[in-house]
Amino acid sequence: MTSTTVEAVRLTKHYDGRSAVEDVSVSASQGEIVGLLGPNGAGKTTTIRLLTTVLQPTSGEFSIAGYPATSSTEIRRCVGVLPESSGYPAHQTGAEYLRFYARLYGVSRSQARSLSAELLTAVGLEDRGESRISTYSRGMRQRLGIARAMINDPVVVFLDEPTLGLDPAGQAQVLDLIRSIAKARDATVVLSTHLLPEVEEVCSKVVILHHGRVLVSGSVGEVIKTALIEQSAQLRVPLDLIERARNVLAGFPGLTINQTAEQPEVLILAVDRPGTDSTHREVMNEVLAAVTAAGIPVLRFELEAARLSDAFLKMTNRGVT
Amino acid sequence: MTLQVAPPAVGTVRDVRAGAQGQSRLLVVAEQECRDLWTSGRGLILLFLFSVLLSGVTYLTSTNQALNFLEQRESVNLVLQFAVAVGVLATLVVSADGISGERERGTLETLLVTPVPRRSIIGGKLIAALSLWFATFLVSIPYVWVLARGVGILGRALALGFCVGTLVAIGLGSIGLLISAACNSNKTSIAASIFLLLILFAPTQLPSGLPQGWFFEVLLRANPVASGLAYISSILVEGHDWTQDLALLITPLLTAIIAGGALILAGPRLVRLTRGVNAG
Amino acid sequence: MRAALLFALLVGVLTWLPVPVLAAAPLSVKVVAEPAHIETVLGGRFMITTEITNTGTAPSGEILAHLNVASIEGSVYVDPEDWSPSRSQQLSLRPGESRKLTWEIQAVNAGHFAAYVVVVPFGDKVAGKEPLMISPLVDVEVATKPTLTAGGALPVVVLVPLLLGLAAAGVFFTARRRGSDR
Repeated sequence: MTSTTVEAVRLTKHYDGRSAVEDVSVSASQGEIVGLLGPNGAGKTTTIRLLTTVLQPTSGEFSIAGYPATSSTEIRRCVGVLPESSGYPAHQTGAEYLRFYARLYGVSRSQARSLSAELLTAVGLEDRGESRISTYSRGMRQRLGIARAMINDPVVVFLDEPTLGLDPAGQAQVLDLIRSIAKARDATVVLSTHLLPEVEEVCSKVVILHHGRVLVSGSVGEVIKTALIEQSAQLRVPLDLIERARNVLAGFPGLTINQTAEQPEVLILAVDRPGTDSTHREVMNEVLAAVTAAGIPVLRFELEAARLSDAFLKMTNRGVT
Repeated sequence: MTLQVAPPAVGTVRDVRAGAQGQSRLLVVAEQECRDLWTSGRGLILLFLFSVLLSGVTYLTSTNQALNFLEQRESVNLVLQFAVAVGVLATLVVSADGISGERERGTLETLLVTPVPRRSIIGGKLIAALSLWFATFLVSIPYVWVLARGVGILGRALALGFCVGTLVAIGLGSIGLLISAACNSNKTSIAASIFLLLILFAPTQLPSGLPQGWFFEVLLRANPVASGLAYISSILVEGHDWTQDLALLITPLLTAIIAGGALILAGPRLVRLTRGVNAG
Repeated sequence: MRAALLFALLVGVLTWLPVPVLAAAPLSVKVVAEPAHIETVLGGRFMITTEITNTGTAPSGEILAHLNVASIEGSVYVDPEDWSPSRSQQLSLRPGESRKLTWEIQAVNAGHFAAYVVVVPFGDKVAGKEPLMISPLVDVEVATKPTLTAGGALPVVVLVPLLLGLAAAGVFFTARRRGSDR
């Protein structure tokens, strides 16, 4: 049975009369990876700082691993954090850096040495542990930061923009690490990021913030459904039969048909009525059947699933609640 | 390459979470801060330059054939004044970087999310800053020994220099950290601290022949640096008894107690992501 | 009548004649040194006691006793202020009164010196031609303790910066080596 490791109720943070976070309620369970999304200035970093006790909330309550907000020392023992744009001491080596943080958590000198070596290996920096951090690339620093966030074997790991500035290979490595943190260590991961495809890939739960408020939270599918994103498809037929295909499909209720000048032989189909994924798929099946029954050869038919990025853009542009 | 962060094989922090063992956090912070200060070479370069200065003073003094007894005592006093000046300056600059520097370099947040008490962070940084004073004093010992030989003031000079210099360094180091906590910008913090030090050192450089009325006396006694150095001079150069001018030590002592106390009491409120006690 | 005229003439002649300021009360200054000859080493402290007596019949008025030190051998520059922090003492004496003054002195130069006290009139009644009263000299011999020489200081002057410079260079190159691992 998984326990709730993160519970925030109506968290609010005001700075000089300005609201940075307003009535944010979030929860997460053990082993879950929660994606915290939002445009710049949405309140993601502030939310993370509140939950990690770096900032004090103006109002609201929260608990981490069962410890209430008033037990800040206990919470800090249980969390690991990779802040956005985290700095690193240039003169220290990676190993020295990890040893120092291990000892801050009460680990003995010898244990800190072995823990540091293990984590460096786990993040792929075993060959660079004795080099100065100033010689590390950005990706290496992010991996070092993740290693540091794991130094205390935390119950909850907060990663604020861990893939920022990384190339695709680096992003993939970081995502692998995030997956293994949740799976192998059974830790809850709260991941703040702009990379929506990656959130779809790794997160079991998504919270979208906008202007300091929660727009929507739930699984990726639930969020997409809430945003009422239409399912679409692309149908390619011989150019001389395109008008005939249009006429065949014109009778379908709730189906919009578009064409572009660049690809006149392609019909872009969208189901713009509410429904589940399966009903949308049924409609598309019917479309395909109708076209083939009319004797029109189907050169290509591609179903495009609704993406989280679509939901995100739609919701943050409209401010849907 | 696929990376995996498997659970650690060795005992982990979850094991120690319930009751943390290991070295005091303050000492861990102090040790790391000292290591950063000294292994980066900054501290050693300062000491090297300081030793060159003292070597020049000592050599010039020793080649002066007409050097009389009092001038030799004055040379000892001068070396101690240099040691206090350089040591306190270094302590102040390092402590002025303590909090504001971490903010600027983006390393403060990772420190704040650890379970280390804020007072331990402050205390560790103060100890590291003071290490510069102690190192400066150590470097000055051989020079004081050379100059004080034969004039019978070696023990007294070293004891005076150590006690007064440590008091002044604690006071100003604490003030430097307070300034640092109040500034978001490192440049502002260091500039303010150096300016403060210049104000405190200025009265000590006034020509001794100037008329010294009550105002000068107040200025001297209210200044921890000037009064501390005046105390050293009164014993080493003027030959006063150590109890005769004890009143001159009141300000350095009070500065160390008040500034140090403010740092300890206000520490948790000062060590925040952004400046100001109400921030966060 | 003749006697009265003679008396008036005598008074007139006497009032016309110049009169020395201290004519009625010459001071005598005695120096008591125990011993009269002092031998010490560089930095040594000793005391000189002077006894000033008003042997006149009138009060002395304000007088100043001032200590001086002079080198009587070689060309040693003597700054008396370095020898004693308080070299002037002001006093006034009734007729027949004696006062003992003590002077604390530290020998800050090596050589052969003479210490003495001079008594001068003090205040706005001083006319400018009054004679000074000077004590006998106190003979002071100060032996040297040469400890500071260029040769003696050289090891420290050279070794300390050298060692620190080497340490700084070592740390610097170690840091560069760590930094060059890419």
